[in-house]
Amino acid sequence: MVTDFTLLRLLQLVSPGLPIGMYSYSQGLERAVADGWVANAEDAGEWTSGLMERCLTRIDLPILLRLYAAWQNGDSEKVNYWSQQLVACRETAELRAEDRQTGQALARLLVSLDMMEMRLWIREPETTLATIFSFAALKWSIPVREAAIGYLWSWLENQVLCAVKLVPLGQAAGQQLLIKLGNKIPHLVDEAFMLADHDIGGSVFGLGLISSRHEMLYSRLFRS
Amino acid sequence: MVSENWQAKGWQADLQLGFAQSRDKTLLVKRQHYGPLTVQRPFYPEGGVCHVYILHPPGGIVAGDNLCIKLKADPKSHALITTPAAGKFYRSSGAQATQLITMQVENDATLEWLPQDTIIYQGAQLRTINRIDLAKDARFIGWEILSLGRPASAESFNTGQADVSWQIYKQDKAVFLERLLLDAKAFHARWGLQGHSACGTLFACPASQQTLSAIQQFIGDRVGYGVTRIDDLLVCRGMDSRSDRLRTFFEQAWAIVRPDTARRQLCVPRIWAT
Repeated sequence: MVTDFTLLRLLQLVSPGLPIGMYSYSQGLERAVADGWVANAEDAGEWTSGLMERCLTRIDLPILLRLYAAWQNGDSEKVNYWSQQLVACRETAELRAEDRQTGQALARLLVSLDMMEMRLWIREPETTLATIFSFAALKWSIPVREAAIGYLWSWLENQVLCAVKLVPLGQAAGQQLLIKLGNKIPHLVDEAFMLADHDIGGSVFGLGLISSRHEMLYSRLFRS
Repeated sequence: MVSENWQAKGWQADLQLGFAQSRDKTLLVKRQHYGPLTVQRPFYPEGGVCHVYILHPPGGIVAGDNLCIKLKADPKSHALITTPAAGKFYRSSGAQATQLITMQVENDATLEWLPQDTIIYQGAQLRTINRIDLAKDARFIGWEILSLGRPASAESFNTGQADVSWQIYKQDKAVFLERLLLDAKAFHARWGLQGHSACGTLFACPASQQTLSAIQQFIGDRVGYGVTRIDDLLVCRGMDSRSDRLRTFFEQAWAIVRPDTARRQLCVPRIWAT
């Protein structure tokens, strides 16, 4: 059950103000705009919802669910296994670096919030954001479904903020996108939680390609 | 995510090949086949490297077909495998066709997996898995070039579904897991193929930073092509409206990575020219 306090912790965990540097990653959107793949609000909506449905729902969320359960059961072998699987699913060097850097930054933050168990993850190369996010959610008694909704929401908000800066979009257009795409989240979380282990996995060709091309972009504002 | 019980499948075609190094060349020491998948006699156009063509006489895969190819390169061996013609997955009335290709590369062995492109007809239903197991000092180059629909016959890809996986393990640890679901939506979407009928990926491991730079330079201003290097695994992706152009691109990219990854100069399989 979500109490007032767990709700507050969830809001804190998914806030763009959380000091893990999410704002410096566009996940290829910078190059998608540079290559003319994403040129307006409609394109940005199609791009973002495609990634939500085909990638995050099929990789991040089911693995987040498993990581949460592994932390809950004190099963460090499973925590390591699913972290490693998630890393292996990242399509490019840049997307892996992003996941590692934001995950390690969150681990560092949690240590300074007295979650000393996270100390080992600050330097662990297979740290992912979902690994540490799921731990924080469990510690703060945030139920797993709400944690997954929050995880997807913060990813979506970051993508839309990137689109507002890069495309660019007006602030109101950005908020409209958040409402439209945000409305898909509950259904996508349900879908993700139904997946069996062997159903996990999903990528879209455009993401791997554009992220590779972002690595080749001469002048970049974003790190991914 | 990889543990689907594929062992239980009834394979209609199964081919197992094993390569081992003798004093001066790599021999095809194991050749076991069941059903319509065979190999021609190996040949040696570049010294000790064993070149092998895999044949699938029916010429295409239909609904419900299950194909399995298992390749194993023993320590120090070097094999290059290709096919004399494009693979084809035909339209299905519903049943899924499956294809499992496993490649095991031992220490100091080199395996090059360079089949001609795979044509996926509109309406085809398929699931394919390419599973690569690399030992610590194994060397591997592989590619997959997919052509969706038949653009020459103005056929698009509005029905059908291809579920295509690449799973690369090094010393039993997953290092790269990709699973693409190609359907009508993915064919047209801007996050998918944007209506391009051909897409492909080339893998090379190990590949150096210099090789990455060389491929980046080779790509240059070309749109629709990209390359990344994940630790020492190079992954080069491309999409094009013409599969022949994509094919030429990957052959040239292979020529660039081969001296580094496979420690051999270019030797183009003659069958590609025919």
